[in-house]
Amino acid sequence: MISVNNLSFKYPSGVEVLNDISFTIPKGAFVALIGQNGAGKTTLLKQFNSLLRPTTGRVLIAGIDTSSATTGKLAQKVGFLFQNPDHQIFMANVEREIGFGPKNLGLSKTEVRQRVARAAAAVGLTPYLTENPLFLSKGQRQRVAFASVLAMKPEILVLDEPTTGQDYQEGLEIMEMVKELNEQGHTIVFVTHDMELVARYAKRVIVLSQGRILLDDSCHNVFYQPAILRETNLFPPQIAKLIQKFAKQPFEFGKPLSVDEAYQEFLKYTESEPDVCCS
Amino acid sequence: MSVVVEYIAKGSFVHRLNPLTKLFWSVTLMTLSFFFRDPRMLAGLFFSIVAVAYMAGILKEMWPAFKGLLIVAGLFILFQIFFIADGKTILVLIPGIQIGHVKGIGRITDQGLWGCLAMGARMMVIAASFPVLMGTTKIKDLVVVLVEKLKIPYTYAFMFVTSLRFIPTLMQEMDQIMQAQCSRGHRLDEQNFFKKFLSLCPLAIPLIVTSVKKAERLAISMETRGFGIGARTYLYRNDFRPIDIMVNIALTFILATGLFLNLKGIIG
Repeated sequence: MISVNNLSFKYPSGVEVLNDISFTIPKGAFVALIGQNGAGKTTLLKQFNSLLRPTTGRVLIAGIDTSSATTGKLAQKVGFLFQNPDHQIFMANVEREIGFGPKNLGLSKTEVRQRVARAAAAVGLTPYLTENPLFLSKGQRQRVAFASVLAMKPEILVLDEPTTGQDYQEGLEIMEMVKELNEQGHTIVFVTHDMELVARYAKRVIVLSQGRILLDDSCHNVFYQPAILRETNLFPPQIAKLIQKFAKQPFEFGKPLSVDEAYQEFLKYTESEPDVCCS
Repeated sequence: MSVVVEYIAKGSFVHRLNPLTKLFWSVTLMTLSFFFRDPRMLAGLFFSIVAVAYMAGILKEMWPAFKGLLIVAGLFILFQIFFIADGKTILVLIPGIQIGHVKGIGRITDQGLWGCLAMGARMMVIAASFPVLMGTTKIKDLVVVLVEKLKIPYTYAFMFVTSLRFIPTLMQEMDQIMQAQCSRGHRLDEQNFFKKFLSLCPLAIPLIVTSVKKAERLAISMETRGFGIGARTYLYRNDFRPIDIMVNIALTFILATGLFLNLKGIIG
């Protein structure tokens, strides 16, 4: 579980990026962190494994204060997927690349091999285990990086734009994997600019704007407050926009976020007013 | 680190001088420092650099660089001073012990002291003018004069400038890589020398790979923007103004008299 108390953070240059932030993320949560570029999303994520430490306030990860723990130590609890996989790939083949993290945790050879095999299978990289990761495509390299995080089996997974460089289908596949991990009890925090992904997968959304929390609620509640979202240049998924156009009074059709949900809402509506279709 | 190559925007008259004038100033100082042997003269040259930095209003920003140089020069003198045996002994650290035909350990001679001070001061003069030059000159202006006035091929001038430009970028990149590897449980605090060396691989390899990729991308984007198709024109011009001519004449005079007096043996 992640608990953030009155966290403020300034870079040494004096720029204040996070301003008095507080929230808790319980074990097993699936949280999306959204906001426009420069809102402080990545800075906030880096607080979770002590890459950055609070200027004031406290961040507790499973009861450990990040200001007194090293990143290496927290690596067992928090897995971090960075935006650019090329910042971490250095081994001559995919297998050893994925195994680097688990080896750092001091696991036995057989355990490392098992974890690598499982992580590679999960991201569809099994045929590529002996290839040099540098010769794979950008999307595949991102998967290598993802597998190398998975193989460490962290309680908390922090994903900074996990679907960049993936086509639509690959992006969904990655998110399906993340969802599965969440169902197994892993806590997920991810950053993305793709609102459709947020609507589809996240159970809770935190909206950051200029270092403050603007909204912290369920997807349905967040995406049906377009005025606040527009303040920080975010736009709800298209289905929510469409429904809001149709509704004569707020929430006339509920708060659907997918085509299916909207369809169900429409059915309910037509049942309550039977002659609407025939007029 | 970055203080050495960063331009500091101030409107002083040093800033407004032609880059070529400043380059000539730097060369004058270097030439003189090679001929002078007297540490007092060399110290004088160094203080003239400090004075120029002060006139340019960048002394505060230059101070860490100067201080670093002083420390390096101090260490240099400390390591060298005991190994020059010629001349009269003026100080012995541990007297009374005879090793071979040398009396005492840690002997400092007058020639050794003089020579080391001169070497240290010379190093400082040579190294100190460069940050002042870079601090008062925009890199692109420097390129323009290098290419237009000194007729250095544009490719080489561009290479020189790009390599300076990439230092901060690479440092940022290194930071990202360290963060990424630490997140995977990589330890950088190994004590054992061999392990310490090995622990650099996860950082060095991604840095080299991303740098090569970056260079490739840079080359492509430059070509798409017409790099190397022939003669080019420049948006900014750097013409000599009267003040540049005056400064250059003064510098030539100082250089000539300095060399003349030095070769005649009047000043050290």
